[in-house]
Amino acid sequence: MKDRMSHHLEYVVGAEKSLRELIGEEEVMPLLKGVVEAGASRAELTDGGDRMLWWFGVPPGDQSLTVTLPVLLEGETAGKVTLRGRASEEKIIRILSGMLAATITAMLRANLKRILTTETHTKVVNQSYEELLETNKRLRTSEARYKDLASSLEEKVRERTEELRAAHSRMLQQEKMASVGQLAAGVAHEINNPLSFLASNINTLGKYVARFREMLLFYRSASGGDDTLSQFRKEAGQKWESLRIDRIMADVGELIAQSLEGAERVGKIVSDLKGFSHIDDGEEMPVDINSEIDKTLRVASYEMPEGAEIARDFEPLPAFTCNPALLCQVFLNLILNAAQSRRGPLRLSISTEEHNGEIAVTFSDNGSGIPEEIRSRIFEPFFTTKEVGAGKGLGLTVAYEIVTAYHGTITVESEQGKGACFTIRLPSKKEK
Amino acid sequence: MIEFDELEKRMVLKLVYYGPALSGKTTNLLRLHDIIDREGRGELMVLDTKDDRTIFFDLLPFFFIAPSGLKIKVKVFTVPGQVRHDATRKAVLQRADGVVFIADSQTSEVFNNGSSFENLEKNLAFVGLDISRIPLVLQFNKRDLRDIVTEEEIRRVWEPAGIPLFMASALEGRGVVETFREIAGMVYEAMDRRFGLKENHGLDKESFLKRLTSGAAESLPFSGGSR
Repeated sequence: MKDRMSHHLEYVVGAEKSLRELIGEEEVMPLLKGVVEAGASRAELTDGGDRMLWWFGVPPGDQSLTVTLPVLLEGETAGKVTLRGRASEEKIIRILSGMLAATITAMLRANLKRILTTETHTKVVNQSYEELLETNKRLRTSEARYKDLASSLEEKVRERTEELRAAHSRMLQQEKMASVGQLAAGVAHEINNPLSFLASNINTLGKYVARFREMLLFYRSASGGDDTLSQFRKEAGQKWESLRIDRIMADVGELIAQSLEGAERVGKIVSDLKGFSHIDDGEEMPVDINSEIDKTLRVASYEMPEGAEIARDFEPLPAFTCNPALLCQVFLNLILNAAQSRRGPLRLSISTEEHNGEIAVTFSDNGSGIPEEIRSRIFEPFFTTKEVGAGKGLGLTVAYEIVTAYHGTITVESEQGKGACFTIRLPSKKEK
Repeated sequence: MIEFDELEKRMVLKLVYYGPALSGKTTNLLRLHDIIDREGRGELMVLDTKDDRTIFFDLLPFFFIAPSGLKIKVKVFTVPGQVRHDATRKAVLQRADGVVFIADSQTSEVFNNGSSFENLEKNLAFVGLDISRIPLVLQFNKRDLRDIVTEEEIRRVWEPAGIPLFMASALEGRGVVETFREIAGMVYEAMDRRFGLKENHGLDKESFLKRLTSGAAESLPFSGGSR
């Protein structure tokens, strides 16, 4: 504790003060002069050890009267006043000495009080200051600790954000795969149809070919035989009849035409899919948005419900540089969204136009619309109004992200029960 | 101890009245001043107060001379009770020889008593004094008021601490001298052990206490200390 306090003031509350510390010549001398002027011949003030401090008047010696009174400090005699004078002046000298002792005692008291107040105040201020410094130091330390914590927190947040970003992009990829998967079901059905009649036709053709073969073999063997011509004609006619060559000859052309048409349909589906998926080109290139919409529509048509009516109102557009697969994904998501939200036969009108350096594409459907309270949320990931399991709620999110990536906007206007109108706006002149 | 000077034959002791704000520390000193004779005690010095609340401290000094010629001064201080004046309390507590803790008996003040006592423990440690060794007396003041904690309850809580306990009404002057006599006696014993007050200076406990409390008739105590 001594060490701790040693740099503070030495002052201890209540430390003893001597008379000399509490009172000075400039305070005492006027009093001493005063009592001498009032009638004493000499006035003295001594300290607690009877040492002379101050005096005024004629030298001591011939005075016949000496009056000494104590000066008190904290109940203790801290000094003495002595007045000398003529015996004839005794009364006034006694009164003067009493007044002088009382005055100096009161002065000591007042000065002690002032000194105590000042010293305590100084000590308290110093100590408070030291404590403030201490507190300041502690605060600095804790501030440094929090800074440390904060910087490592930033690092942690960065890590987590990166993880989330990765997870998010995986989810988007999965959503893309899901919409492709949905398409695949429709496409598979579409391909299965021509394939099954192709198989059946080929089977029939095989049977027809067997009869042609038999007929031809008959001609060949009979042509080198001994039979008469009339005999040959008769037998050939019978054979022709029994193999029903007339009928199968009438059918075979249609079969081949039908099969070719089926193969063409499959070929077209494959080429639609290729065009839509842009399997051959994953990179950015100038594309015509109108034709990309058409490509998407062709593929989506396999998923379109019975009786769907799709109206196209396209204006010529400038080429837009993008990854066409991504753009087709946006169109597909909007078209499928419209198909899923329909009530009754789907009416979807798609229009494009360019205006003020902006390409606008609108998809307007006759579905159930989007209630106002959820309109602001439909682009949020995982927000869905479909039944659990029917959709992940990422279709519009994917569309939003792709459009935003191309510095475009996607907005929706809707009146509940009256369908929804999505508008995509893309800058027709790409900004650097 | 503020000072002990063998050559000058001088001993200056310090007693401190501690406790929460407005518990009656200054009133205790005022009553002591009123009750005890002019002889041997100095005037009560009340340093500046604001709205009756002590900012610095009050000081009541006592002075007498032992048969051996040893000059003994006992300075009794109060501390400001308000929480904000902690630095002043530390300054006053420095080199104390004994502490009187003035608690407020009112039920509403139980918490303040507790935190002030904790503050005393903390500050004693700060100025290098050991609360388990320094003479310490506990006074529950304001027994004249209604809505106070019962003496039974106070004794149940505080007696196990082994600190002498006094019930008082400083306003009515009751229990004040008893509290003072107890702390003075304890300080005497501590000083006697260190400096042989009786053996070397011919000052026994009774005359020590008599000098400090001259003129004080034993007022009716609410209850005495047990020790």
